[in-house]
Amino acid sequence: MVRSRRSLAAKWMLLVLIAFSMLLPLAWMALCGFKRDLDVLKTPFAVLPQVWEWHNYTAMLHDRQYMTAVGLTMVGAVIFTALSIAVNALAAYAFARLEFPLKRVLWVLCIMPMFVPAMSILITSFVVVSKLHMLNTLAVLIIPGVASAAQMFFMRQFFLGMPTAVEDAARIDGCSRWRIFLKIFVPNSGAVFVVVGIISYMAYWNAYVWPILTISNPTLQQIMPVLANFLDDRGPQYGQLMAASTLAALPTIVLLLVFQRHIVAGVRLSGIK
Amino acid sequence: MPTTQATTPRKRLGSVTAEVVEAGTPERRSSSANREERRTAYLMLAPMVVLLGIFVVWPLVYAFKQSMYQGNFYKAPVFVGLSFYKYVLTDPGFYQSLKVGGYYAVIVVPGGMLIALLLASFIKTLGARMASFMKTTVYLPTVVSAVIASVLFRLIYADQGLANWLLGVVNLGPKNFLGNASMVIPAVAVPGIWLGLGITTLIMLAGLLDIPESYLESAQLDGAGFLQRTWYITLPLLKNVLLYLFVTGLVAAFQEFLLPLLIANGGPVNASTTPNLYIFNQFRSATPYAMTFSITASLVLFIVLGTISALVFRLIKSEKAVDA
Amino acid sequence: MRRGKGLTALTLAVAGAVTLAACGTGSSGGSGTTAAAGGGVGTACASPTTVTFWQQKFEDYQQAWYKKYVDQFNSSQTCVKVDYKVVPADTWTQKLQAAQAAGNQPDVVTTNYGNIKPGVAQGQFAALDDYLPASALADIKPNVAPFVTEKGKHWGYPMLVEPSAVLYINSDMAKAAGLDPASPPKSWKDLVDWSTKLTSGNVKGITIASVATELGWSSWGLQYNSCGHFPITDDWASARATDSCFADVVNLYKTLYQNKLMPQNPKVGYTDAAPFESGEVAMMVNGSWALGAIKKDKPDLLAKTVVAALPTKDGGTGETTATLGGWTLTLDAKSKHPKEAAAFISYLAAGDPNIMADFFKQAGYSKYTTRTSVDKAIAANDPSTTQDANMKTISDDIVAHGIAEPVYPWDISLAMGTAIESGMKGTAPVDAALKTANDSINSTIQKQQLKGTAPQS
Repeated sequence: MVRSRRSLAAKWMLLVLIAFSMLLPLAWMALCGFKRDLDVLKTPFAVLPQVWEWHNYTAMLHDRQYMTAVGLTMVGAVIFTALSIAVNALAAYAFARLEFPLKRVLWVLCIMPMFVPAMSILITSFVVVSKLHMLNTLAVLIIPGVASAAQMFFMRQFFLGMPTAVEDAARIDGCSRWRIFLKIFVPNSGAVFVVVGIISYMAYWNAYVWPILTISNPTLQQIMPVLANFLDDRGPQYGQLMAASTLAALPTIVLLLVFQRHIVAGVRLSGIK
Repeated sequence: MPTTQATTPRKRLGSVTAEVVEAGTPERRSSSANREERRTAYLMLAPMVVLLGIFVVWPLVYAFKQSMYQGNFYKAPVFVGLSFYKYVLTDPGFYQSLKVGGYYAVIVVPGGMLIALLLASFIKTLGARMASFMKTTVYLPTVVSAVIASVLFRLIYADQGLANWLLGVVNLGPKNFLGNASMVIPAVAVPGIWLGLGITTLIMLAGLLDIPESYLESAQLDGAGFLQRTWYITLPLLKNVLLYLFVTGLVAAFQEFLLPLLIANGGPVNASTTPNLYIFNQFRSATPYAMTFSITASLVLFIVLGTISALVFRLIKSEKAVDA
Repeated sequence: MRRGKGLTALTLAVAGAVTLAACGTGSSGGSGTTAAAGGGVGTACASPTTVTFWQQKFEDYQQAWYKKYVDQFNSSQTCVKVDYKVVPADTWTQKLQAAQAAGNQPDVVTTNYGNIKPGVAQGQFAALDDYLPASALADIKPNVAPFVTEKGKHWGYPMLVEPSAVLYINSDMAKAAGLDPASPPKSWKDLVDWSTKLTSGNVKGITIASVATELGWSSWGLQYNSCGHFPITDDWASARATDSCFADVVNLYKTLYQNKLMPQNPKVGYTDAAPFESGEVAMMVNGSWALGAIKKDKPDLLAKTVVAALPTKDGGTGETTATLGGWTLTLDAKSKHPKEAAAFISYLAAGDPNIMADFFKQAGYSKYTTRTSVDKAIAANDPSTTQDANMKTISDDIVAHGIAEPVYPWDISLAMGTAIESGMKGTAPVDAALKTANDSINSTIQKQQLKGTAPQS
């Protein structure tokens, strides 16, 4: 009894320590949102603001351009995530379970983009989307990044690990591959999709250079370029930046908490046994 | 070389590493079922292949072409053949940046994976309530952008920053974190690990939860400690996940650019100039030379990354051969 | 049909352009803005020609100023509509080159002096002489005109100059250390003495650039002061970074750094005045723009701030220790509507001097004019500016002796920046660091075939 209580206490201590070190930067960001620009840079650290600048937050709430950007980026990120999961999961399944000619060539083709540095194709990608008349559309933000080698690779790795028993039985029953994919793989991949989804969502959310290149229409402004407005070399507005970043992170945090059930419930990656 | 049966792809955790490299050998049998399966496969791959073809392959081919021409878009470009590849490959700065990128990746990737594994193992031992709290804690920092993290860590490493204050408490400080060539990469790696930790831990945890409890329990009954269980059971069973994390982590870390730029500005004396930062610095002036050079350098980087990853795959494949 | 309409619009707009340009010049004071807006040109156009304009993002007030006058220009007539876009500095090169590659580059952009001559060599700009009235070109100050002139033509209309290195002194701290802010350090030795005396506890004596990418451009003035030339021969045929005068520059930085007279891990970059504003350093080397930042962030510090020219190697006065950076408006060589685009340049930068005068006012007079008529407008609108001691120092002691930024490729500046950083942080002996830079510059000369390509003006 005593022993287990002691180990529980140790666990709690460790837990609090980890939580503290993980959440400190987040809390720091939120608190800095209440500080004046120069106070953000104060060393040694002052945890609490000297003067509470509520204005940093309230100004953002009244900033139409900012609020639109947050909303629009969220919408874009959700569409992007859904499309990305669909496209990459299908390809991942084909690579994990199906046999077909040219598989090796296609595999190399599909995995290769993972190693392409963004810089090498930045300008030429722009030329391509410009030729396709995609500039200044939501599509140019979403479509080019949907197919992702890393995501496909990730899902394939998990699909490879799924036991084959149920699938084999379904095959014997005459189920098509599509049915197996939709009825067995998709329902059992909740956790994988959540993980992949978080990565996709954040990738879209954090995009900076691409939206600047392709969007000049102010109504399609994305969040990162808007946040960058507070960061010029000659007098960054750190307080505003922190407040704006904190507010922008809120919807994402809510979204993560909603999906946390899937992670927390301990969904088995391969639930079929 | 394992031949994979189309109809019964028996792939189990732990015995599938070969598939990573060997995406399967072309099936030579021809039957109607097979034809059906091929059609399904191509249909399933179609969106991916088309999208990659348009948005990666096309720009990439175009970029290779660009790397052989010097000129801006006002005068007719001059064909320069492969001379820019020579310029890149004879530039000591480029090799230095590869070393920096490699050093950074070597700290961030295994370091991050180890911490994530420990965290995930720890979370697994917790009760439902604590575990759910812990998971939330671990992935929430994902919402912090690299820019914000950079501002924070620059302050942490400042002369009178948090890091030096802590070192002062134990009488070890102050240290010149960002002005010292041997300390700057580890210093930049800390936020690098921290930013990626949430997702890595979640993936690890998902993999861990997948390991049948019975394996670990029987090992425990046989008297295996945590380290032994991890080494002999958990890690081999996590191979798929680990390989993914390792390769993608390596590729991403090698290309890290924002953190060293914003925290240390690539300094001191290029000690934190990663390949992409090196390319970025070359590209600051808008001369035609700079443009062709930066495109060429990043294409060379692409080849380097591809080669390293191919070697990693090959390495794991050969290990498998030994297993078998 | 669409085409025909376009042609009509074009012819009309040409007339408009001339009128607009003519309205602006020469009138100092008064409301030239409305004069330009009038003239009835606008109503003559059936549909406006759209001209795109990209501005590199800087201080907030700049964006506000641009927006205000773009709007004013757009509503002043109906022939030309300017589509205005702010582009962050860190993505500027990529965005511009991507647009050029795709053939949808903007008609007008902000270009800094350093990029004018390389751009001319590439055929990137259209000469403004064909579009702007001669009086507008004659209005450019004689010391600035060479910055934008090549082959006898003007390739950008200069808006402002700003010295990239100015010494700021916190006079309270100086007095407390027994130093007289009224006679600021004159020589590099003085600068080190001052920095030493002003360093105590957590307060450092000075802050100055300390990483290669910042040293590359912020040390141009000191390099020139020490050597009388840059680390490359005038015909760009070979490097001369191993001249001992460059070692003197490196040693100055080295002393400041190694003696811990400056922050070892600066919290912000060179261009950011924050450490000086919050009293963590007693002196600061920064561009003239920092004066504007202090005015905005810490107005009470302004009265205690003394500005001086960066000291010279031997203590001489009236020498160059700073280069003049600054921005111009350039017209793209491939612009489909050069006349309309030029009409906008003419309106914004070359026309009514009150428009630019307003810019300098918004800047807190931390930047300097390029046109005689704008000086007059400022003197008329804001007479107090002539009494401001710091402003006078910058314009008389720094801008007057400032030289243009070097126009050789950035690689050369970066090589020197790396050498200075290397020497100051002790990763290589000073001579070895300069030898490396010398080799690197020679390699740049060879690879980029620079020999004999130096612009002559």
